[in-house]
Amino acid sequence: MSDHEENHSHAGTYFAVFIALCVFTGLSILADALHFSDKNITRVLVLAVATAKALCVMMYFMHLKFERAWKYLLLVPTGILALALPFALFPDVGAHYYTPDVPQVREYAAQQHPDDVSHARDDDGGHAPAEHH
Amino acid sequence: MSHAHAAPAAPFRMGIPIPNGKLGMWLFLGTEIMFFTAFIGTYIVMRMGSPGWPTDVHVTHINILMGGINTFVLILSSYFVVVAHDAVLQKNPGKARMFMVATLALGIVFLGIKSYEYYGKIDYDILPGHIAESDRQSMEKLLKIVERRMDTHLAAVTPNAKKGEREERLAELDTRLTDLQAGGDKKATAELARAQAVKKLYNEYVNIRDHVRAEVSFAVPFSDLEKLRTETDTSKIPPLKLGPFPHEGHEYHPPAETLLGHVHQKVLTDPELQPLVSGVKLERVRPILYGNLFASNYFLMTGFHAIHVIVGLILFILAIKSPLSLANAVFVENAGLYWHFVDLVWIFLFPLIYIV
Repeated sequence: MSDHEENHSHAGTYFAVFIALCVFTGLSILADALHFSDKNITRVLVLAVATAKALCVMMYFMHLKFERAWKYLLLVPTGILALALPFALFPDVGAHYYTPDVPQVREYAAQQHPDDVSHARDDDGGHAPAEHH
Repeated sequence: MSHAHAAPAAPFRMGIPIPNGKLGMWLFLGTEIMFFTAFIGTYIVMRMGSPGWPTDVHVTHINILMGGINTFVLILSSYFVVVAHDAVLQKNPGKARMFMVATLALGIVFLGIKSYEYYGKIDYDILPGHIAESDRQSMEKLLKIVERRMDTHLAAVTPNAKKGEREERLAELDTRLTDLQAGGDKKATAELARAQAVKKLYNEYVNIRDHVRAEVSFAVPFSDLEKLRTETDTSKIPPLKLGPFPHEGHEYHPPAETLLGHVHQKVLTDPELQPLVSGVKLERVRPILYGNLFASNYFLMTGFHAIHVIVGLILFILAIKSPLSLANAVFVENAGLYWHFVDLVWIFLFPLIYIV
């Protein structure tokens, strides 16, 4: 139960990490405020900042930098399983190899091509489940 | 914990050299990582696979400033909890208690800001399954809102009719109207006015209902709707359009032939009907394509995160009640680990929901 740090306080390190976290948060808000022409630049920047912040919290606040190899035993299988779900769902949900025919897709297509009048009247347009007397 | 031997050689020890409680907390955090990456991964995959996603923050009512403040609140509370743990190890229970209370307070601030955001969503009916996604669905939703108001007030002025039978209620309303008008009782003028308003609302409801069902513009008067039923040339029937939504800070003058325009001019701003339809917000029927998908993901992720924050606050209350001596250091550390995890999830949720 007793740790080596009983003798000296780590308050200075913690404060430095806190300042770093504040700077990172400011950076991500700045990245959003700058309104880059390509939204993907904002996304990459903001997620990179998020990863950096997460590493700060994990390494220092959660003390993982100073723990032994058991952290890998715990986190590696967790990480593999955590990534497995999006990877498993990606082919069917994230990237279609068939075109789904649902009201939202038809509505979205109609909004992209408003001059396509042939679908104007007879397209269901996605009725809400309301009764018709 | 295994006890030290008197032998000079270092003894072999089974297991990982940390307290059982800490290992238990880390194992739990491992499961929590999988729990949250399930929702976040699903959000990412759904969004990538969807042809569209509501990104306009004025439509989704996502407040990036509030999200940013929440991020700062959680980071500060993470810092405070780690300082509190450090104070426990430095045998300073007074300082530790002060920082734990501060962490608890910041957690409550986070929940307060979150409730304010949730209130905004609920106020605009940005809830899973409630959002209209096309103009047609918007029209039917607005019709349902008017119908519900009309039914409520009809039920209020016709206490004698059997429950749920609208024809009976209307018949009772008509008899009451004839009675009140014939009676000429001065005391009943308020009741008469109310009954007349309800009748007017019902007639307006029928008008709106038939126009929406027939998809005919309000430029065609109600009395002519019947004639159009036999019209075979669809180009002669002016289609019903939803109309523009009010912009904040601008005067609202929608075209009267649209549904929103007609409801705004003939129902919402009519002095006789206003007391019956007070609080009806047109913004609530705004169609948001892929809005329900957005709302489902949003509430799932932030809702579970908020539940975890509440559990964290309970842990802090338990820690504050303890003497915060060295004997409690493991509990404080474990509570801190849990809270850091909650902070970690929010560090990823904030960019993914508010910025991306």
